[in-house]
Amino acid sequence: MLAGTAIYAIINSVILALMAIGFNLTFGISGVANFAYGAFYVLSAYATWMMINLLGFSYPVSVLLSILITALLGAAMYRFVLMRVRGQALSEVIATFGIGLAVLELFRYFGFVGFEYNLPVFADYSFFIGGAFVDMQRLLIVAIGVVLVLGLWVFTHHTSLGLAFRGIAQDERTALTFGINPDKIAMLAVAMGAGLAAVAATVIIPLGTISPEEGYDVLIKALAVCIIGGLGSTGGVILASFVIGFAERFTDSYIGSHWTMIVSLAAILIVLAVKPSGFFGKQKELEERI
Amino acid sequence: MLEIENLMVFFENALAVNGLTMAVNTGEIVGVIGSNSAGKTTLMNTVSGLIIDMRIKEKRKGGERITVYGRISFEGEDITEASADARVQKGIVLSRERHPVFGESSVIENLKISGHLRKRSEIAETMDSVFELFPALYPLRKRKAGFLSGGEQQMLAIGMALTVRPTLLLLDEPLLGLSPLMQKAVVEAIVNLNQDSGITVVICEQFARPVLPIIDRGYVVENGMLTLSGTGAELMDNPEIKAAYFGI
Repeated sequence: MLAGTAIYAIINSVILALMAIGFNLTFGISGVANFAYGAFYVLSAYATWMMINLLGFSYPVSVLLSILITALLGAAMYRFVLMRVRGQALSEVIATFGIGLAVLELFRYFGFVGFEYNLPVFADYSFFIGGAFVDMQRLLIVAIGVVLVLGLWVFTHHTSLGLAFRGIAQDERTALTFGINPDKIAMLAVAMGAGLAAVAATVIIPLGTISPEEGYDVLIKALAVCIIGGLGSTGGVILASFVIGFAERFTDSYIGSHWTMIVSLAAILIVLAVKPSGFFGKQKELEERI
Repeated sequence: MLEIENLMVFFENALAVNGLTMAVNTGEIVGVIGSNSAGKTTLMNTVSGLIIDMRIKEKRKGGERITVYGRISFEGEDITEASADARVQKGIVLSRERHPVFGESSVIENLKISGHLRKRSEIAETMDSVFELFPALYPLRKRKAGFLSGGEQQMLAIGMALTVRPTLLLLDEPLLGLSPLMQKAVVEAIVNLNQDSGITVVICEQFARPVLPIIDRGYVVENGMLTLSGTGAELMDNPEIKAAYFGI
């Protein structure tokens, strides 16, 4: 049971990390807390569903198109809404939350709720590992999560655009003196965050169904992971995902499934009480040392 | 190369730069000397285009109204309203005051970020010449820039501006907060990069003593207005300069 629980805990952690990584990327680089993140997640899933079931596109084409569309919508949201209120955190939160709410509730209003709204799994078979059955989809989630994190690391450390991202994240005005346009980078960061939400939805949604609730759920989980990890820190997001992921699964197996929600909330409370800036409040650490 | 005609910059109703006219010729080192609040930083921000970005940001916030009058032209082209990143593309690069560096990145990464417009091979090349110009940076290349001393950060900040491969380098108070020894090293480096790389340099400084000997021409600003101008030697012999900046 222990090995099985551990395996599911790892899978759960990777799912959490996948859900949070896009939100974290957008916030870390542009400082925009994209509260429409959950809506992008659900929207991309519905987009894929519609392309497969209504337009008859093949699965890979639908997935790629919906990731692209979601990213473009993210860019459009920045360009036409966020840019006007840029730098005012509260306005950004209200604007994005309002957009997210509208999108999610529109889907509910038009009746996109039910078991028929789901996405296909990549492969439908399972393995017997460590005393538990693990299906291919969950293993693929882990693989894609790992590839995505590594890919993002390479992107931010070794490509010219990624380096520009890091420059803007640290000091906008200084980055501007080297010809890095903050609005352009912020737009790309919001678009990439939305695109990552779409990737997460593509791999995670097949485990359940698409519903507007999923949007709120993802937003809350992404926020929880990012706050515990230290907003904007990728290492923090991964560590926090594993802390919450393991806490949830082990509570589920050994205490009772109805306690899982309380455990993750308690984890947030404890971390915020002990270390208010999260696990990796990096900037603060640096400031304290000099 | 750079012509500034009758430049006026207002922050709300406060006049930061008042009717300033100056010119910079290719290959020169030009000094802008003035005490605190003389308008040097505003001048640098206006020439580099940062003021355009500041104006947009303030407008979005509903904050201070920034107004720029006059004309700035670079290589015959009017750039008064060009954005900061467009001016960087044209070759005007500013190294801001108080040596801002990307504190969480290593020295090497800082140079890579600043040179992101350039090709990988060009960055590697400039990086070598930066370490040649500032040998003190080389042993520190893997250290986080936030942990460097002020002087080292200043060297890095100038090095970062160089990775963009500027034709016109603007230095805003490069000697601020540095020890006399460090000031000497930075001044020598400025002369070197002007002579060896042919980069035109504008230095804004309140420390006139180390700067006046190396400049071709200089302008003295007070309260946003030009009060004196001349060659470096003329300014050094000027009794008013002697009294105000050398304390003789």
